[in-house]
Amino acid sequence: MKRFDSILLKVFLYGLPALAALAIFAYLYSTGAVSHATGYAKFMNSIAGFVFAMWMTLSIYLSVRLMFSGPFREQVIARITFMRERDEREAILTGRATKATFLTSLAILIFLFCLSCIQVSIYRVPPERAINGKTGFVSLGLGFSLLEHEKQARPVDTIAKEDIFSYRGLPISSQSIILMLILWQILSYNYSMRRLIK
Amino acid sequence: MSKSLPQLKIINRLHVFRAVQRMTQEQLAKEVGVTRATIVAIEGGGYNPSLELAFRIARYFRTDINTIFSIEEEIK
Repeated sequence: MKRFDSILLKVFLYGLPALAALAIFAYLYSTGAVSHATGYAKFMNSIAGFVFAMWMTLSIYLSVRLMFSGPFREQVIARITFMRERDEREAILTGRATKATFLTSLAILIFLFCLSCIQVSIYRVPPERAINGKTGFVSLGLGFSLLEHEKQARPVDTIAKEDIFSYRGLPISSQSIILMLILWQILSYNYSMRRLIK
Repeated sequence: MSKSLPQLKIINRLHVFRAVQRMTQEQLAKEVGVTRATIVAIEGGGYNPSLELAFRIARYFRTDINTIFSIEEEIK
């Protein structure tokens, strides 16, 4: 299994340039930049689709293996994060750097969670809808949605109001946040490790 | 709350033993199975080795741990 995973990982990594080339070809084919008339182009497009489907399946398989296989995770993720434990001192420093990374990541996650829950809206209503002669309002709220589509299906405001400032959770997509956290973990670990090694 | 104990400063004479044997840090590191950076850190007082490594170093120099590693107060 270990050898099988290792082969699949090599296929995944060394196949990336070929995948990029095929993706460019598929894009050109779909936009019509490459002539559809030739049988060769059609065949290449079918190959590109097949390779892409295989690569996607492979990426899902490998990410699941990373979650469940300890040795595979150590082999791959340790290399991605430049983790080195050649002796006891490096093992201790790795532990400290990992702790620092974990704690800062958790702090960032708590901060992001707060930002995603808080809703602030400053708005002005027409004079005929004024309450106690006041037309400017500040609305504060807390929102939590388990699923993404619940968040999107927001009721339309019935009051004709002029928004001065409106903040309804993080405007960043979930993919961006996940990517940012992955990069943060790698950078934070390496920074902590360098600081400890000095 | 646990009682706060005074911190013990461990000092070592590793560089002396190494100099007597005319060994480089790299050679000693290889002999005891660590990196040169670890030997540098031990000699500089920036890192206290584990008991296992301390025993390995002492065994390599054919002496006791106490001869190489000791607490500062004991020296005074």
